[in-house]
Amino acid sequence: MKKIYLSSPILCLLPALAIIPVLTNLILNIHLGGVYLLLDFLKSAITPSTDKLVILSAIKGLGITATIAISSWAISSFTGIIIGIISSNKFWIFLKGPSWLGKSIRRLLAFPRSIHELIWGLLLQSTLGLSPLVAIIAIVIPYSALVARVVADQIDTIDDRSLIALIQAGTKPINALITSIGPAILPTIISYIGYRLECSLRAATILGIFGMGGIGSELELSLRSLEFNEMWTSLWLLIFSIFAIEELLDRFRLWLFTKSSSGRRIIISLILVIIITIMSIILLYIQNQGLFLDIRWNTVKLTDIQKLLIAFNELDWLNLYADTLIMTLLAAGIAIGIPPLTLLILPAEIGGKFLTIIWTFFRAMPIPLTALILLLFTTPSIYVATLALAVQNIGVLGRLLKEGIEQQKNELFHSVTSTGAKMRSAWLYSRLYSESKSYLGFAAYRTDVLLRETAVVGVVGGAGLGWQLQESLSSFDWAQVILIISGYSTLTLIGEAISEYSNNNWINSSNSTPSHHSLQY
Amino acid sequence: MKLLELNKVNVYSKNNHRLKNINLTIGSGEKVALLGNSGSGKSTLISIINGSLLPSSGKVFFKDLEIKNLSPRSLTKIATIWQDLRLIEDLNVLQNINVGALGHHSLYWSILNLIGLTDNKKSLNCLNAVKLPINLYKKQVRSLSGGQKQRIAIARMLRQQGDLLLADEPISNLDPYLANAMIKLLLGLEYPQSIEVPDTILMSIHRPELISNFTRVIGLKAGEIIIDLTSNKLREQDIRLLYSNP
Repeated sequence: MKKIYLSSPILCLLPALAIIPVLTNLILNIHLGGVYLLLDFLKSAITPSTDKLVILSAIKGLGITATIAISSWAISSFTGIIIGIISSNKFWIFLKGPSWLGKSIRRLLAFPRSIHELIWGLLLQSTLGLSPLVAIIAIVIPYSALVARVVADQIDTIDDRSLIALIQAGTKPINALITSIGPAILPTIISYIGYRLECSLRAATILGIFGMGGIGSELELSLRSLEFNEMWTSLWLLIFSIFAIEELLDRFRLWLFTKSSSGRRIIISLILVIIITIMSIILLYIQNQGLFLDIRWNTVKLTDIQKLLIAFNELDWLNLYADTLIMTLLAAGIAIGIPPLTLLILPAEIGGKFLTIIWTFFRAMPIPLTALILLLFTTPSIYVATLALAVQNIGVLGRLLKEGIEQQKNELFHSVTSTGAKMRSAWLYSRLYSESKSYLGFAAYRTDVLLRETAVVGVVGGAGLGWQLQESLSSFDWAQVILIISGYSTLTLIGEAISEYSNNNWINSSNSTPSHHSLQY
Repeated sequence: MKLLELNKVNVYSKNNHRLKNINLTIGSGEKVALLGNSGSGKSTLISIINGSLLPSSGKVFFKDLEIKNLSPRSLTKIATIWQDLRLIEDLNVLQNINVGALGHHSLYWSILNLIGLTDNKKSLNCLNAVKLPINLYKKQVRSLSGGQKQRIAIARMLRQQGDLLLADEPISNLDPYLANAMIKLLLGLEYPQSIEVPDTILMSIHRPELISNFTRVIGLKAGEIIIDLTSNKLREQDIRLLYSNP
């Protein structure tokens, strides 16, 4: 019998099989009344409401979301850089301080990083009430830790021989640091921080869907009241904004890194960021006079060991973990496999352009909103949650794969096409082959992100740890809340370790160095 | 019978005129050696003929059809051994040899090859023809030596079953014994019954002592054809002129 050999292009395509159980279950649970609703929903996409009040309300909502996103992005970037520097090993070696301090800070950061911003939002909402400020804090906590990790990694992996040489030559330590390490790590860090702005906008929208104001709240309200035309007004506005931000950031990266005057441009960008941040905080304050006044400090009674034990026994851990893992794996399979499969089926230029539009749309769709739309015509299940999770991630991974392929050289492609291979076979053996290993590396990282995001759909789809957390928060069962968050954190940290290992494995075997590009996803 | 025709072909890249007004006809069954120093335009000429590079001006015809209009099926008749080999390093030896046959098969077969489930008899014959041990077939190409890789590129070309062979320095990594054997194989002088060798050949080489095996010699210098002779008429001073500084 022949031995099956799974080459990397096949490993990119194979996970697409996960779509079969998910679609089968969704189709089996479709209710006819919902199909009419879905048709109505789709029809409304081309006839969004043009009512002046609706448009103004959507713009105001987008304004609140944008200001939440910009404020939280700027604060988390700033704190992330500071914490990143002090959690790096090199910083403590350089100061001749205790190296365990950096390591300890890093370990501590793993916790805030492992909890999704929505969970932070729900937790803070229970103690501080509904307010845009809660949304800002909820984003700042995990994002600061995420930025800090990237900054610390960049500092620690840098070749410091030039730094040592400068210090030995008598350069002041601070000057030596700025001169040798700054230029080497700043491009990656700025590029990564730029990408976090996109993430902040998505996060602020999701938090809005859960009642924390902005365009997310507009979307959720209009969908729940089945006012699809109004919903599409807000949704189109959001899609165009995300598309505009992606384009702007791409152009910004080009502007920043393709000219020799990068140093000056970095300073200009920093000044711009500071101005935008101050403006957005002022705007947020004007839009919400009660931004800081609305805060109410609900006391949270810390629970005792006895209650924790009771809560532990009450929770159906096996099912909660199983649902969360099944959602993650199926959604990851779909998100990883569908982009290369669709590109393989439609490799022609028209197909590529069509997919670019679809993927932009997918990326802009907030995950809970996709879940709510699916729930219009089907019943809540982990498959609804899975598909909702997968849709946005298809958009993210599809863009990554396509951009990677577009940057390829043509040698291998020409070599395969010159054998007379048909376009699809040639695409498989050259384009997908060349990109497959780095794609799988990034896909491993994305799976880790997906695991975190199950919290978002769990709440909507009625499955997994996210759903249980919402239930426990609603009944103020703090013992359960503490246990579930600890469980979530453990799971995501294990996932992070596995994805890191797998990511390194693929990246190393593809002989490519992680670029700004890789960090962005 | 005329197999290949280049008509007033020019190739420009940036400020470089890489091929200058090339007019060339190669008949079926001809064995043509392509000589010239590095940068003279040999690889560009080969890329123009196999259609991977389009000329800035002029036309290329294969069997009276313009190359840019050839269907993938017709392209299978032009087999190339690239100077940089262009093997798929992470696939194993047999899968790489099978790449030569992609033009003869469907997408389904391509996927089967990536999983390792194709019928490999023809590819094993090609592997045998290039004198590589049969137990090498499962090895990842990345782990092989330069000479072994070069012979896999030759085997892949054989698997394509083309009518015209374009070879860009196909023996540069081989020892004299193997180089001689591969030249005999490529020129169809000595090859096993189980395989087919292209009948017409245009081969770029840097070994003037092998010229006697060819029927015709073309010399390129700075993108221009300055020598076009039957191999027995090639003189020592022609070679000196070809390899002298411009």
